[in-house]
Amino acid sequence: MDRRTFIKAVGVLGASLFLQAYKSDLVKALELSETKVLWLHGVECTGCTVSMLDGGSPDIVELLRVLNLKLLFQDVLMMQQGIFVDGKPANTSELNSDILLEEILDNEKGYVLISEGGVPNGPAGSGRYMVIGGKTYKETYEKAAKNASVIIAIGQCATHSGVNAAESEIKELLDHRGIAFTMEDSSKGIVNLLGINTPVININGCPAHPDWVFLTISAVVLGKIKVPDDLPYLLDEWKRPKIFFPPDHVIHDNCPRRGYYDHGELDLTVGGGKCLWKLGCKGPYSHADCATRHWNAHLSFCPQAGSPCIGCVEPGFPDSTRPFFVEIEDSGLVGTHLHTVAGVAIGGALLAAGAHAVRRTVLKKPEEKEGYAEESVSEKAEGEK
Amino acid sequence: MKSNNNPSMVVERYTVTDRIAHTVHAIAMIVLIITGLKIYAGWDFMSFHSARALHMIAVPFLLAVNWILIPYNIFSEGHGLMGKISHFMDHYIFGPKDAARLSDIIKNFFGKGKYPAFSIYDEEKGHYETKLHPLMKILIVLEGTALFLIAVSGIVLYKLDWSLFGLPIASWITSIAGLIAPALGMSAVGFLRFLHLLMTYWFVFELVIHVGILEFDPHVWKYYKAIFWTGKEDLSDAHYSEYIEKYSRFDAKKH
Repeated sequence: MDRRTFIKAVGVLGASLFLQAYKSDLVKALELSETKVLWLHGVECTGCTVSMLDGGSPDIVELLRVLNLKLLFQDVLMMQQGIFVDGKPANTSELNSDILLEEILDNEKGYVLISEGGVPNGPAGSGRYMVIGGKTYKETYEKAAKNASVIIAIGQCATHSGVNAAESEIKELLDHRGIAFTMEDSSKGIVNLLGINTPVININGCPAHPDWVFLTISAVVLGKIKVPDDLPYLLDEWKRPKIFFPPDHVIHDNCPRRGYYDHGELDLTVGGGKCLWKLGCKGPYSHADCATRHWNAHLSFCPQAGSPCIGCVEPGFPDSTRPFFVEIEDSGLVGTHLHTVAGVAIGGALLAAGAHAVRRTVLKKPEEKEGYAEESVSEKAEGEK
Repeated sequence: MKSNNNPSMVVERYTVTDRIAHTVHAIAMIVLIITGLKIYAGWDFMSFHSARALHMIAVPFLLAVNWILIPYNIFSEGHGLMGKISHFMDHYIFGPKDAARLSDIIKNFFGKGKYPAFSIYDEEKGHYETKLHPLMKILIVLEGTALFLIAVSGIVLYKLDWSLFGLPIASWITSIAGLIAPALGMSAVGFLRFLHLLMTYWFVFELVIHVGILEFDPHVWKYYKAIFWTGKEDLSDAHYSEYIEKYSRFDAKKH
């Protein structure tokens, strides 16, 4: 063995011994640091959680594992329950969800808060329309939101209060609030009401698409989105990521039925295979990538499956997009109907035109036929004096 | 009135640019209405792409005529700023005299009184005192407003992120529409589409009024010839027109 080879062999041996000795420390250093996630449910149907469980690329377990997420609390998935004995929370956080949440809110900070569902503010600002474990959800939410590093509001109930804030006789009484907006109004978002400054990212939809949520969480956790610095140019005016809710595209642009629209082949009854516009499809008004991303393991989406888009990602949903199955231009305005108003006006004008034509031609008086309005110049001048 | 053979009785009613503006406006508007309704209703007499192409070709013509040529025509008349303003007010803005004329026209329709002259030429000043049917003056203002609304809403329908010199015009329009739309229970883009169609119907309505009522009278047909071709009006034809003879005011004062 020559000297050069000996030194090389010693070097390799030293390196391998070093790697062996510090293997676990090196792996730890290379792993993603743990990110804590608090997932709360307000007023909603839990459809968004169901939608998240349907996610496929990645699925929710893969998401938690790969990104090293620690799911602190998720009402639907965890095993703890609210246990009360003689009106007081019993046992420990191992079994009691209320105690667990209490401990999280007291001890944790800087977590990602996933907000599913809206926050009730009624009646009269008390928030008592949703009480869990003896506390209003509004109170719990305030604490949770203040200590979060970022709020990711998922689903229309959270982003804009959705069906909870839709026009109804009890809307004012219930006063359900979205996180950053209530319908289109940012001043009515719960964070505004409670003076919370935590940045909010909205993932709209009824429900939200798992890809939209998981990819957003991933981007935040991996530092691809720097919160809050990157948010102003990554989000649109409704705080939605432009990548999923493109301001310059609507679902209609990429719809597989678009060719029928271009040919003017429009279905007038459900069950057909052509463009659904006349059946009230809101694809032309809805900003989302449904038509390219697809749902249900990326297989299909509403219009492709035969149902007109109901515009569930739009800020005023459902008020701004209903009646769901009536074309917007056909839905009426202030109690009238555009086509009827236009038809009556144009028809009336045509009738008037006909009457006018008859009057000016057939029913003309003899003196008019000879010429009239022949006022003398002096008369005119006299009149102007 | 004086002799029908007096050559000085023939005056220029519409300049060449007036006639070009009207003709281009008429053609562009008809193309836009037909192709627009084809796109909206899915009529199958032409392809979507042809309709859209024609629609987009007609747009710059309509806008150039309305926002460049017509303002030029209006404000090239009259001397000095005040002269231009008074020309604009006299010729295009519905005033008390127009209200009186319109009232007389309606009465005349029901057989009472004479049909008032709405086209009055002042020989001394060498130009019209007023020229248009009083109802036309109302329609013109509404037309300008409708045109603005349909153009603005059309920008967003054309391209949701349309910008000019880096200014995000379409986004601004959508944001402004977003202030109104919720009150009507609509989304911003939905409201703009609704508005675009509503204005289309307005133009159809206006066309019926303009052609079918105001201009559907054998005595008015002389103005068709003037607006599309000759640009001249023979004031010796007293139907709906009159002229204030030179020195007539002076003569009238003497009396």
